[in-house]
Amino acid sequence: MVYEFRYLAPRTATELATVLDDIKADGRILAGGTDLIPNIRNGVFKPRIVVDVKKFQGADRMAFGSEGLSMGPAVTINDVLRSKDARERYPSLCACAHELASHQVRNRATVAGNVVNASPCSDMAPALLCLGARAVIRSATGERVVPFANFFAGVKKTVLVPGEFLATIIIPAESAGAAGRYLKLKRIAGHDLGIVGVLMTRKDGELRFGVSSAAPTPVLVDTVGAKDDPDEAARKVLASVSPISDVRGTKEYREHMIGVYVRRLLSEVE
Amino acid sequence: MRIKLTVNGLAYERECAEHVTLLRFLREGLGLTGTKEGCGMGECGACTVILNGRAVNSCMVLAVEADGAVISTIEGEAQGPSLSDIQKAFEKHHAVQCGFCTPGMVMSVKELLADNGKPGVDEVKEAIEGNFCRCTGYVQIVEAVMDLTGRPGGKGELEHV
Repeated sequence: MVYEFRYLAPRTATELATVLDDIKADGRILAGGTDLIPNIRNGVFKPRIVVDVKKFQGADRMAFGSEGLSMGPAVTINDVLRSKDARERYPSLCACAHELASHQVRNRATVAGNVVNASPCSDMAPALLCLGARAVIRSATGERVVPFANFFAGVKKTVLVPGEFLATIIIPAESAGAAGRYLKLKRIAGHDLGIVGVLMTRKDGELRFGVSSAAPTPVLVDTVGAKDDPDEAARKVLASVSPISDVRGTKEYREHMIGVYVRRLLSEVE
Repeated sequence: MRIKLTVNGLAYERECAEHVTLLRFLREGLGLTGTKEGCGMGECGACTVILNGRAVNSCMVLAVEADGAVISTIEGEAQGPSLSDIQKAFEKHHAVQCGFCTPGMVMSVKELLADNGKPGVDEVKEAIEGNFCRCTGYVQIVEAVMDLTGRPGGKGELEHV
């Protein structure tokens, strides 16, 4: 990389909050780096300072407690997949994690980075939306908790303001055991961005759909009833999304495949 | 920033500019040019190294992030003229043509075999899904790994020759 910047790696969450407060819009937060570093290389971002959120004490913490699964900002996608507890309790989280990029990228990319990046094609967002996860957002002035249903503000935009960072992701204990499956339409079997992705979860007769690459933000659909027939379910999901035509596929193709996936998932997710 | 790291069992301490990637540091700072730069954005896997036991794209890691890390690169495979087992298997199965992807392929396979001594074909394919090869193709690479991990008859399940 030719572009030069300074690198800071605060050692405590408090120090991190202070650093981010000092630099505000002049800096960029570095988690796994799998989006940020290519973007700096390609000139998309020109931060004066890059602040690493992986090095503070507790950043890599992944814990199962009474409130559910909590994950710090350094927890990688493969940390989730390698966790037997995560695979048993949150299979839909792992289904989404498994579809994300390639093995090497999953070793580096973080769950927090995937959602803070807020790409419409985020693979982790459908899981966090369907599982009712919450974001604990921290800054120098305190902490606030935002459900992921209110976290995404637009293409590559979240409710985070300069000075804040995503300190913890909490997936509630009540969502443990939800059955789920994520279907992601890609051009190849391996590493690719999705054309569309649909996650369906089913728990105690309640259905939820999380849809990626189909609107400015990842979308949660919780209006489908257990008794809806497949066409009705597809109609409700399609009413909540607004796909566009782009280099990866047309609006019509995306709409068609979302319908196909919703009908398929209804029969497949027990 | 001054960084310390262990590469292929040797400890290094160097001054390193903060914007330099681990890939560039390995190649230009330490002279270990076995690790290649392909796309520079995490698509091709030519720059794969093992960082603290995990295969990663070194083009997307800053050298300063790897301060204190233990790293393996392709230079750590052969001992003098003697190739490592993975390299021998690649050679035997003609899993190398131009060789540009090979250092990354070998590192991905090495990480897989460290975790999973007898992988199935699908697991091998998943381990190298982030490594592009544009000339040999993937079949011989998968065969090399299946042979190496002691499948019955010494043949990979995809043996087609």
